[in-house]
Amino acid sequence: MTRPRRDPRAERAAIRVPDRDGARPRYDRSARRPGGGRPRRDPRAERAGQRVAGPLRLRYDLGQVAPAEGPVRAEPAQRTAAPTILTVEAPDFLVVAVPDMAGGRLSAHDRQVLGAARILAGREGGVAVLAVGAGAGYGSAGADRLISLDDDPDAYDPAGRAARIAATLAALKPRHVLFPETLDGGDLARRVAVRMREPLFGNAEGLSPTGLIRPARGRSIEQRAAPGLLATIAPEAVAEYAGPPREARLLPVEIDASMRGAQEITQEILSAIRIPADPATVPLGLAEFVAAAGNGVTDLDTFRRLVAVLRATPGASRVLCDAGLMPRQTQVGASGTVLAATCYLALGISGAPQHLQGVAGCEHVVAVNTDLHAAMIERAGLAIVQDAQLIMPALLRLLGQEAGDPGDAA
Amino acid sequence: MKIAILLSAGRHPVSGAAVLPRLEAQAIRLAAGLGQHIGLHAGPEAAVVAEALGQGLAHIQHAALPEEADPVPALATCLAALAPDLVLAGRRGQGGAETGIVPYAVADRLGYPLIPDIIAAAPGEEAGTLHLDQSLGRGARRRVTIRGPVVATVHPDAPASFAYAYGQARRGVIEPVVGALAPHPAPVPAVEERPYRRRPKLVKGAPAGSSAAERLKAATGEAGPASSGRLLVRPDPDEAAREILAHLRRIGVLAAPRDPR
Ligand SMILES: Cc1cc2nc3c(=O)[nH]c(=O)nc-3n(C[C@H](O)[C@H](O)[C@H](O)COP(=O)(O)OP(=O)(O)OC[C@H]3O[C@@H](n4cnc5c(N)ncnc54)[C@H](O)[C@@H]3O)c2cc1C
Ligand SMILES: Nc1ncnc2c1ncn2[C@@H]1O[C@H](COP(=O)(O)O)[C@@H](O)[C@H]1O
Repeated sequence: MTRPRRDPRAERAAIRVPDRDGARPRYDRSARRPGGGRPRRDPRAERAGQRVAGPLRLRYDLGQVAPAEGPVRAEPAQRTAAPTILTVEAPDFLVVAVPDMAGGRLSAHDRQVLGAARILAGREGGVAVLAVGAGAGYGSAGADRLISLDDDPDAYDPAGRAARIAATLAALKPRHVLFPETLDGGDLARRVAVRMREPLFGNAEGLSPTGLIRPARGRSIEQRAAPGLLATIAPEAVAEYAGPPREARLLPVEIDASMRGAQEITQEILSAIRIPADPATVPLGLAEFVAAAGNGVTDLDTFRRLVAVLRATPGASRVLCDAGLMPRQTQVGASGTVLAATCYLALGISGAPQHLQGVAGCEHVVAVNTDLHAAMIERAGLAIVQDAQLIMPALLRLLGQEAGDPGDAA
Repeated sequence: MKIAILLSAGRHPVSGAAVLPRLEAQAIRLAAGLGQHIGLHAGPEAAVVAEALGQGLAHIQHAALPEEADPVPALATCLAALAPDLVLAGRRGQGGAETGIVPYAVADRLGYPLIPDIIAAAPGEEAGTLHLDQSLGRGARRRVTIRGPVVATVHPDAPASFAYAYGQARRGVIEPVVGALAPHPAPVPAVEERPYRRRPKLVKGAPAGSSAAERLKAATGEAGPASSGRLLVRPDPDEAAREILAHLRRIGVLAAPRDPR
């Protein structure tokens, strides 16, 4: 939906008549103006394209951007050359980032740590990512080198892993080493710091090549220091690397055989079992996936069954809690719980501002509501205008079929 | 079972008044269900941890140290003498440097293993073993069975502390550690201090170096999934249900169906 933007200078240069005497420029104004320059929106044509055909009165479908008739020239397709991979052949020094790699993937926080390492490395240095197990996307996150740590990603042996990381760092002699300030990353950083007898600059919230900044004394002061060997980076403090991808070349590291402890395992740990959160009892504020009912849900038994089958944590709007239909601790919103969930499924909730405050932090929202103009429908990534009392049994039926339950499949 | 709780001199985050750090009060509660427990503080003043007596700790040992001395050697010496089965500490201090390195340094000196961020503790089936439940965030936990003695740090998701009781505070005793502890000067970190300045949080979803319009879009959620939001008006309920399940699976909050045979 763009039309070319005029470039008066180029237009005039194109119609300039080659002069004979050179006394003054002459132009041939009879020629048609050539187009060129940057593309530009044409609001009139856009509007015309949204016009819904109908006899009675003008109607526009504002939800779509339809192609307009008329001489609207398409935006010249930007030629996307294959991004060239940046290489640093012989870095002056290395900055090592040690991501958490929870679930074998780089998290957003991990990428921020790589972004911070990139800032400290500057033009001369190289960023090396020290990762356990295989993973992908290190290059686009800003890593020039990849050091693969020979370790079991599923075993719980933080002391052993810290020993292996410390041995690798001793062989590598990097200038800086950065960890994410998460439960695992912060733990690992402190173990490595104690093991290497190096000070740790924890929870850095500000970062530049000349200094790191961290809060202290209950955020009444901040401490600033030149970047040392070890630091942890707070979440949402440094932007991810956004430049062209880098090569993430595998860098083999020879660990000195005399480095004691590189192979040790913690004998005292007898077992470590991961217990996933039970969605039915997890506090609402910690839940990953919340399914909530509002005033539009009358069939609460079906709702409760649906929540159990979806393995979601139940939530409710204030109306239902006030009416005593749902327990008070399930209330979502300003006077209830503010969620930090990944996904929020809202059934029959209008989306009052007090309720939406509680949902503000949710990444994805799915809404079912009979009212097309409800605020919840607007907030949702998937919005369904339909009766919740029809959708809930349909969901149960489908989930039952998937589970191969012959009783529900009928 | 014998439990030692490391008590630090905390400051209230808002008023700056001396308080018992919240995590250490929670540590007292965790220890109360396990057995005999004793507090340990290394620092110039004993009065700063007196609040812990009212939280249910009957007995506190105090190792007197000058203001700028490193507490770690003194704590390690006292703990070696106490020989506890479990040492509890906060995951971070409160009101000081808040580095959280003290428990790691103490565990390293004593040669004990360290389990971070626990929210529950119970004795194991075998004598001398412990079950420690570690918080993994979002309500998930990891149950570690470990042979003591062990140092553990407490996570804020642990059960809330007991209420302060005046009678208990009167009955409790703080006893100075006898025997001279040589004060080691703490390593002076080369930091420059200044008043805290709030920094803007990164706008999630806005690429680095993006324009103001892109940042505004990201902040109002227009750039997120809401911008590409799908709207189904009066769909067939089964069709809608299929859409919802597919969407939930794409996000990754719902497990894929078991094998469809
Ligand atoms: C100080 C204050 C604090 C508050 N705090 C909170 C709070 O913390 N949390 C909170 O939730 N509220 C809070 N509220 C109340 C809030 O303003 C709203 O009243 C409340 O959120 C509305 O709840 P609701 O969406 O369930 O109900 P309604 O507003 O009645 O909406 C029901 C929705 O369901 C739809 N619907 C109806 N039938 C069906 C059907 N068959 N299928 C599908 N959809 C259907 C309707 O179209 C409508 O959109 C607070 C209010 C105040 C004044
Ligand atoms: N001087 C001290 N005496 C006893 N325990 C301490 C002392 N300093 C720190 N601790 C313990 O170590 C934890 C982490 O403190 P910090 O390393 O200062 O963040 C605290 O929660 C306390 O349990």
